Amino acid sequence: MELRRAFDTTIDGLPVHGGTEVVPLLRAGLLQADTLVDIRGVVPREIGSGRIGAGATLAQLECDPGIPDVLREACRLAASPQLRNMGSLAGNLLQSTRCWYWRLNWPCRLHGGDECFARDGEHREHAIFANDFCASAHPSDVAAALLALDATLRTTTRELALADLYRVPTEDDRRTTTLEAGEVILEVTFDDCERSVYLKAMERKRWAFPLVGVAAIRREGETRVALAGVAPIPWLLEGDLDSASPLPRNAYKVDVARALVKRARATIGA
Amino acid sequence: MARLIRTEKEVEGRYEEVWLVVEEDSLDQWPAGPLEVVGRDAVRADGRERATGQAVYTADLAKPGMLHTAVLRSPHPRARVASIDLAPALAMPGVHAAIGPGDIEQLTADCSFQGEAVAAVCADTPAHARAALRAIACEFEVLEPLLDPDEAVRRGSLLGEPRERSRGDYERGLAEADVVVEAEFRTQVVLHNSMETHQAVVEWIGEGVEVHISTQYIWGIRDAVAERLGLPADKVRVVCHYMGGGFGSKNGPDDYTFIAAELARRTHRPVKCALTRREENIVAGNRNATIQRLTVGARSDGTLTALGGEFVNAVGWDGWSSGTEGPMQMLYACPNVKTTTYGAKLNLPPMKAFRAPGFVEGTFGLEALLDELAAKLDLDPLELRRRNHTDDAPEGNAYSGKNLLECYRRAEPHWERRHEVRARSTETVKRGVGMASQIWYGGGGPPSYAWIRVGSDGRATVVTAMQDIGTGTRTAMAQIAAEELGIPLEHVTVTLGDSDRGPYATLSAGSSTTPSVGPAVRAAAADAREQIEEIAEQRGLKGASVAEIVDVLEDAQILGKGARGPNPTGMQVLTFGVQVAEVAVDIETGEVWVDRIAAVHDVGRVINPLGASSQIEGGIIQGIGHTLSEERLHDPATGRLLTTTLDAYKLPTIADVPEIVSELIDEPDLHLTNLGAKGLGEPPIIPTAAAIANAIRDATGANVRQLPISREEMLRALREAEARQKEKVGAPAGV
Repeated sequence: MELRRAFDTTIDGLPVHGGTEVVPLLRAGLLQADTLVDIRGVVPREIGSGRIGAGATLAQLECDPGIPDVLREACRLAASPQLRNMGSLAGNLLQSTRCWYWRLNWPCRLHGGDECFARDGEHREHAIFANDFCASAHPSDVAAALLALDATLRTTTRELALADLYRVPTEDDRRTTTLEAGEVILEVTFDDCERSVYLKAMERKRWAFPLVGVAAIRREGETRVALAGVAPIPWLLEGDLDSASPLPRNAYKVDVARALVKRARATIGA
Repeated sequence: MARLIRTEKEVEGRYEEVWLVVEEDSLDQWPAGPLEVVGRDAVRADGRERATGQAVYTADLAKPGMLHTAVLRSPHPRARVASIDLAPALAMPGVHAAIGPGDIEQLTADCSFQGEAVAAVCADTPAHARAALRAIACEFEVLEPLLDPDEAVRRGSLLGEPRERSRGDYERGLAEADVVVEAEFRTQVVLHNSMETHQAVVEWIGEGVEVHISTQYIWGIRDAVAERLGLPADKVRVVCHYMGGGFGSKNGPDDYTFIAAELARRTHRPVKCALTRREENIVAGNRNATIQRLTVGARSDGTLTALGGEFVNAVGWDGWSSGTEGPMQMLYACPNVKTTTYGAKLNLPPMKAFRAPGFVEGTFGLEALLDELAAKLDLDPLELRRRNHTDDAPEGNAYSGKNLLECYRRAEPHWERRHEVRARSTETVKRGVGMASQIWYGGGGPPSYAWIRVGSDGRATVVTAMQDIGTGTRTAMAQIAAEELGIPLEHVTVTLGDSDRGPYATLSAGSSTTPSVGPAVRAAAADAREQIEEIAEQRGLKGASVAEIVDVLEDAQILGKGARGPNPTGMQVLTFGVQVAEVAVDIETGEVWVDRIAAVHDVGRVINPLGASSQIEGGIIQGIGHTLSEERLHDPATGRLLTTTLDAYKLPTIADVPEIVSELIDEPDLHLTNLGAKGLGEPPIIPTAAAIANAIRDATGANVRQLPISREEMLRALREAEARQKEKVGAPAGV
């Protein structure tokens, strides 16, 4: 495999930034590439007011007092210090699910197959929303934070709401993002908010993906709550948790989410 | 004088009758308490090499021309290889040889668990080997696996006969009870996940074979390799200077050693066969799951009248049914005890010994049950344990030494903290304190030998072909020799880990290395010291230092030898202890924090307090993983494993580690060897899960019955406690 430094993102190859997601996927045989294109030199990484270069690392973000609490805490509670030193903001948004069936390359629906093995199998860490077709859970803490902030993304070809980056997979289209081949996220922007918070439940104190992550923000009297780890994509919570559709072994996640949402709302004075 | 005896030998709680040649242990024990070197903190002799990367582990070994191996393992729990073609692999670049089913006994076409080895290739690099492995055309016919332990018991798919153990009259004991508590406990499969994966480098040299291997038992590897390869044992050299963890999983040669040996034979090259992290998570062994259906009967004052249990060990395809019933049989004075233990043979990867196998699981069940009883009787859990304490072994043979009451006494200040801890509870975060007792083996036994040489520079080298699995025994041996010789610790070097360079020493399992090899080292040092004293007498230097006495020797050396003496006849050599855990439980989210664990253990004389506290901390941390986050999962329909990487299999991180307070009784066992020292490798992990579960009950009233105590289990137990509470409040008076 050849690693080339790219100044032209149209070079045919797989873009890699921090590598914390791409490398494990390559090693597991879930991604194939003859050429890796190092895009660290061309993706912005500056952190400004309401404007963050997509190449900023999570470690940069967790230390920056200028960014909203919800995003800073989501970064701080993600992964481990080593991974946060390498992992980029955009890379974190584009993470694949941790569903063990998917990671072990079972012929599941996300891999184009005709069965969700988790639904009838081992699904304690899986989705409680939008899970009839595929019960995978989206693992990004950062995505939930940016969804709560109603962030906008600028890519090499367009601008789009963060919410529009994601799509629930369907029979006809198994993808979980709308990113086109060769399209690279360059920048994330969002409006300021008065108060915000990120709360996370995981199976150990650090270095675990969210069982449930709750991002909540308060802006001009409005509250927005988004969840990580509860649906195949970052999930905007509309209404309460009663609309969840848990599987037999993950109903506990609804209780955890309910408690964390209540606390998050209380924290931001919603 | 050497003599031949027939004796019971215990390893990991399993006894066997063996003939042994033992030498008398004629040395008196040292007085109790810290001496000049022994009983005082010593930093690890090899700490610098390990920390600076100079220590060469098997994983670091790169012999000239060495080839690397990749192993094709069954992805299915039960399958038959319908067809296999190795030719495409042999045609791949860098490949030197490929072997398949039948080429050696360890490669099979009938796979009974996921990860069973089918074929292997060796190549110039690991990447070449892996690429070649993918080229092998292999078709599996998938068969229905047996996965449910209770179903296995019903069908009679068992490893060994069911084990019935009984004393007194259990039924009568139940009838005499004022209160009976029944509960079912379940424990999960957990993995050793040694930092250095299982591996060996094998090279044929002359008429023999040299095996570098990450192992807990170089002599066991030597004999197993010699037998399988049809070689005289002295033509097999086994080397392990440093190893990155074993925890019971590296007692045998496994498939990788024989795969490497066969490929090395065919290629005339040294061959390394190393498990990948994923293979380590599948076939490196495990602590098997258990189901424990337990009953306790007691009088209203807490006196136990009956203990009973049905234990199902979900052993997997191979291994043994460990002593999960041991704590119930051994820990308390109860006159009527009846247990039945089944070893379910399943299409799951074989268990291996894992740090106090059986007793970790059994202590969780028994000690959580005892606290459920204490709650029902409204008795203080520590007082309940004291009332059922015994200094007379209920199963017969007297204890060689037991200071459990002293452990309880030393635990009191930690236990007393519970009032203050509980008072810090809030509406949503409840705090509490729990405790659990520990019983286990750990006396070691013969044979083990050591040699020592003292040069004219007054420095000593201890030579013994034991291995240090990372517990710091190398340092402890140096301390013992320094103490006996009366020389500074820095003047002692320990040479170990090579079957060609030193006499036999025990396997490093069952908390046995220090109590087995330590007395031999002391005997060897005493032998040398006596010779030095004779020289001193001849030179008129009585009372002078060793360096002064041996100063004139030039190239002459003083050679000493020593052997481990017998264990005390007709006695049980056991270790004891107690741990007190402080936890906080978020009753809305099910999150559990372990804030503090105090451990008080009785393991006889302590050689190195610093190393001992490190062992206690390691055991407790591993115990916290077992209690809260670790679990190997398989797909319920197919039995295929789902947690094969370290993001899915959740070991504790440093953020999960609480304050740990370790205390040791440090009283020599007066009946045991010239040291009075027992082992400490295993005891600290034994009571941790139960202490945490009991602290959770103290904090919340919830009875957790399953490991790990995930959020799901915690919230279930809280809901159940809430329902129980409502029922109690709602019940008519007098019922």
